[in-house]
Amino acid sequence: MLLKFVKSREFFLFVFIVIFSLAITTVNPNFLTLENFADLLKSFTVLGIFSLGVLIVLLSGGFDLSFTAIAQVAQYVVVYFFVEYEVDNVVFAIIATMVIGALLGLVNGVIIYYYHITAIIVTIATNSIYIGFLYVVTAGDLLYDIPESFSFLSDTKIFPQLNASGAEVGICVGTAFWFALCVIVHLFIKHTVLGRSIVAIGGNQLSASRVGFNICRTTLFIYTFVGAMAGFASLIQCAVFQSVVPNSMVGHEMEVIAAVVLGGASVTGGRGTVLGTFLGVLLFAVLSNGLTLMKISPFFYQIFTGVVILLSVTVNALQDLHRKHSQVRVQVKED
Amino acid sequence: MNEHVKHHSVPRLITENLVILILMVAVYLLMWALNGSSFISPNNTSSMAYQLPILGLLSLGMMVAMLSGGINLSIIATANFNGIMIAILIKAIAGDNMTIASGGVVLLCIIGAFICSMIVGIINGLFISILKIPDILVTLGTMSIVGGMNVWLTEGYTISDFPQSVLALGNSTIFGVPSALLIFIIGASVASFILNRTSFGHELYMMGSNQQATRYSNVSLVKVTVQQYMLSSFFAVLTSLVMIGQLNSVKADYASSYLLVSILAGFLGNVNPFGGFGKVAGTVIAVIILQFISSGLNLMGVDSFLITAMWGLIIIVVVIVKGAVPKIKKARLEKKSS
Repeated sequence: MLLKFVKSREFFLFVFIVIFSLAITTVNPNFLTLENFADLLKSFTVLGIFSLGVLIVLLSGGFDLSFTAIAQVAQYVVVYFFVEYEVDNVVFAIIATMVIGALLGLVNGVIIYYYHITAIIVTIATNSIYIGFLYVVTAGDLLYDIPESFSFLSDTKIFPQLNASGAEVGICVGTAFWFALCVIVHLFIKHTVLGRSIVAIGGNQLSASRVGFNICRTTLFIYTFVGAMAGFASLIQCAVFQSVVPNSMVGHEMEVIAAVVLGGASVTGGRGTVLGTFLGVLLFAVLSNGLTLMKISPFFYQIFTGVVILLSVTVNALQDLHRKHSQVRVQVKED
Repeated sequence: MNEHVKHHSVPRLITENLVILILMVAVYLLMWALNGSSFISPNNTSSMAYQLPILGLLSLGMMVAMLSGGINLSIIATANFNGIMIAILIKAIAGDNMTIASGGVVLLCIIGAFICSMIVGIINGLFISILKIPDILVTLGTMSIVGGMNVWLTEGYTISDFPQSVLALGNSTIFGVPSALLIFIIGASVASFILNRTSFGHELYMMGSNQQATRYSNVSLVKVTVQQYMLSSFFAVLTSLVMIGQLNSVKADYASSYLLVSILAGFLGNVNPFGGFGKVAGTVIAVIILQFISSGLNLMGVDSFLITAMWGLIIIVVVIVKGAVPKIKKARLEKKSS
């Protein structure tokens, strides 16, 4: 059991994060403070919540490139109408963004399931449809007037501590939501029928349907879930940045997918854990924060993301090749 | 027998692409009807001839990747990379003022940039074939690395004022035909020749339809995949020459909106996204259709973001219709037999 854990992807990531953190700390001792860490987690909460949705899709062997566009639309619609009708309630806002996100995600699911089209193509297409219409309708206008209650997600601290200069530091509510969602999604994948059926479909759709899993319901659920997560993340994003910019998230979907793959999820489905995904996001966060603290040019950040993606998929691939070599292969005939 | 003769009397180019040819004519007539004579004016026709090659060359590069069921997300980053490398090499050899660089230096720099772009293709091919990593992830990684290098090399600025000899490649006219269009026609012919008449082409189609069988036929999948992504990069190089000619500048994020459209062109042109099937002619016709649509909508003053949304809608409609056609055929056959 212990040996298995030591060999696992999660352990590898964890060791990597610790080593890198120590390296950064020796260069810049400000890194390992509660204040910096809380800020770091806050700025990667959005990516973290996106990644939970993406994990579910990748587990099922699907793909989603439209979640950032969904987030963008949900965010704009909710902030615009909440300001217009002077509704200032963060709970309503959470529900509203998640419902809008879920509906837009459901559209993906319906097209993918009923027309048997590759998920990549459908979601590339819906991405451009959502973003295109968002731009046409809003003319690209920014919104700066965020309802005040939204800052509950970004400014209210859980277990606040006072730092040297007397300001409150600590984990913000949004980040706490992220942690809670991690636990919920983990339990969901491991201990519910729907969660197991997602993994089963990712492993082998044909077998899953023969065993009796409901493919239709599961597929629709998966894409709805990504949409809902995207909607929720978008609300935190606008609370953190205190503005709604129609192109602030779109184009970053690959970073999210990279973080999830880095966490050990397979793009062909069936493999991936919440802990791995969490550590993948954390590694991204530590690395980007480290690059900033070590005063490395931001121009390198994109190159660096690419190198991390290639490295992580290479490690995955080598593990796969190794596993294949040590496996007895049994061919089952399909009829 | 009669059927047999009839089958051969019509060129395959037409029979294979009948649906999209009809679609092309229909779109042309529709845009003509909507815009009036301004759509068929020589002005618009020549502007379409200038715009078409960039999308066309990118689509061909994308199609080559799609033939094995893959996708090359790094193609636009590679095109920009090639242009930026040309600029940087010229500056390194001939000094900051690029316009005075001599023809020999320019040729050398173009070859140097070409080699760099080929290396990107080789890296893509090696990662995909040896490590068996899904192509979308590999090219995503290289897109990010190459795109990042573009930003780093240019520091986000635009590099402009190329020597006349480079500009002439993409922006002159030969007997009244824009050279960019000639590059596109030559590129398409070369692609068609390579894919249909060489052993590499046959192996690529084979690999797309059945990888296992191809491997058992003593074909090196590594070699074919590397060649495939080099060919894809080659079209990125051609694209970059045309772009430099027309814009007289290079930048890290030119043409980034074409990624989706080039995939769309492949689909519309009957390239099977799961690999194995797809012809150059189909893709070229699809590109022409897309050009008609975008030029027509532009003339009507439609918002460019609405056009983006339209691309998405068209993809979904095309794929749904394509899925429906075999079902209808099957239903009709069953009706006949019963």
